[in-house]
Amino acid sequence: MRKFTFILMALLMGAIAQAQSDYTKSLDGIQWVKIESKTDIVVKTHSSNQLLIKSGPEVQTPERAKGLKLVGEGGTDNTNVGFSVVQDGSTLIIHNLRKNKGGEIYLPASKNVSVKSTWNGDIEIDGFSGEIEADAQLNGGVKLLNVNGPVTASSLNGEIEVQFGKVTQSSPISLYSTNGAVDVSLPSNTPANLALSTLNGNVYTDFDIKADEKDGMKSVLGRNIKASINGGGVKIAMKSTNGNMYLRKK
Amino acid sequence: MEKQHVFDEIPDYLDGNLNDAAKTAFEKHVENCNDCQSELEEMKAFLNVLDEDVAPPSNRLKANFEAALEQEKQHQGKVVQLESKSSSNWTGNVLKIAASIALLVASFQMGSLFQQRKADADIAQLQDETNQMKQTAMLSLMENQSASKRIQGVNYIEEFEQPDEAIIQALANRLLKDENDNVRMTAFDALSKFTSSETVKNTFIDALGNEKNPSIQVALIQALVQIQEKKAAEPMKKLLEKEDTQPFIKEQIKAVLPTLT
Repeated sequence: MRKFTFILMALLMGAIAQAQSDYTKSLDGIQWVKIESKTDIVVKTHSSNQLLIKSGPEVQTPERAKGLKLVGEGGTDNTNVGFSVVQDGSTLIIHNLRKNKGGEIYLPASKNVSVKSTWNGDIEIDGFSGEIEADAQLNGGVKLLNVNGPVTASSLNGEIEVQFGKVTQSSPISLYSTNGAVDVSLPSNTPANLALSTLNGNVYTDFDIKADEKDGMKSVLGRNIKASINGGGVKIAMKSTNGNMYLRKK
Repeated sequence: MEKQHVFDEIPDYLDGNLNDAAKTAFEKHVENCNDCQSELEEMKAFLNVLDEDVAPPSNRLKANFEAALEQEKQHQGKVVQLESKSSSNWTGNVLKIAASIALLVASFQMGSLFQQRKADADIAQLQDETNQMKQTAMLSLMENQSASKRIQGVNYIEEFEQPDEAIIQALANRLLKDENDNVRMTAFDALSKFTSSETVKNTFIDALGNEKNPSIQVALIQALVQIQEKKAAEPMKKLLEKEDTQPFIKEQIKAVLPTLT
């Protein structure tokens, strides 16, 4: 009997320890997950229909803050991992409240994800089949891996890198950066209507497209290239005002 | 016997058809009966008139008639037959054929013209209906929660050659108010094709005052300079004074400002 109680206690302790390091929440009825962070954020997929936030190895609250809750721009820490999670209708809004530590968030692959980095954080999103919106508003970059689209991404100073799997044809893709490079890899058989434009940058590609230049002169609104590949399809707009553009076959 | 008149036998008697006995009896009765006698006389006279030969007209009458006919002919106005010219006959026929062909062609042309007009009207109506549907789809997409769907809505502008004010206004709202940078950029691209519209000009000037994204700022500046919009100078000067304006934007403004003032 004593042995059994001991095992039970050990299990309970384990469960509590688990709860302290990770946060989970069911995603029933949730269509969009919106994440805002000042620091690096990584969003990955897992198989269960719930939100999982991994806080990483060390969660150190200052000695003086014991018994107090972390309060940030986006709300109060109601997860014990430094995030605020609030549900608004069918949208789940997640704020990373910490200023110096990133986080890893796991979601089912079919969810629509919107991630905003408001300061230095890089955004990395890997393996989603739903819609993705990524906005690096200041210095962060955007890296999207194994996504199908529709994708909307913008950055100010960071670069945007997108590696597409099979591209969903239903809704347009839009990738804009002001000062960073835009680097896109597409399967070579992707049907698409491309619109590439840059003001001060250059466009590099191994797809068979050409720039229409007006009598060899640079047009007033910079370089605009419109072309359809593989018979045309979903619209893919890429723009970098001051950065270069790279469009690769995968 | 006297009382029995023999009126019925008169024609037979006169023709000699009665046998001797009947003839004798007939004659005997007629001698004694005044009525029958007078009847017999009348009948006899009538038959005699028929038997009498009609005298043919004399030669003189014929000569008189001929003379009168001649005289009548002399008095009558002369009828002249219009002789059709045989030489113009074939050209006339050709003209007739040409005229009928022309008529045929003309009526065919008229027919097809009316048909065409009707078809045009039908197509115009269909076009109108599709435009209505597109416009509804466009406006509703632009309110969608998904940024990609809003971009799709904005891109629908390519379907309209002459968008009406409602569409321009909806695009202007996207450029001024949408929270997503990509949607604002796409709305700018869409509107930049219609810079002759006053609404678009004013929207660009407003947007230049509010916009935080440097890519959109520089695109707005270029579009406003291209249409030489003098009112754009004010928001440009304000951007020059702001600390957080990107250096390349400031350089751009410094370069183009003299052309506006």
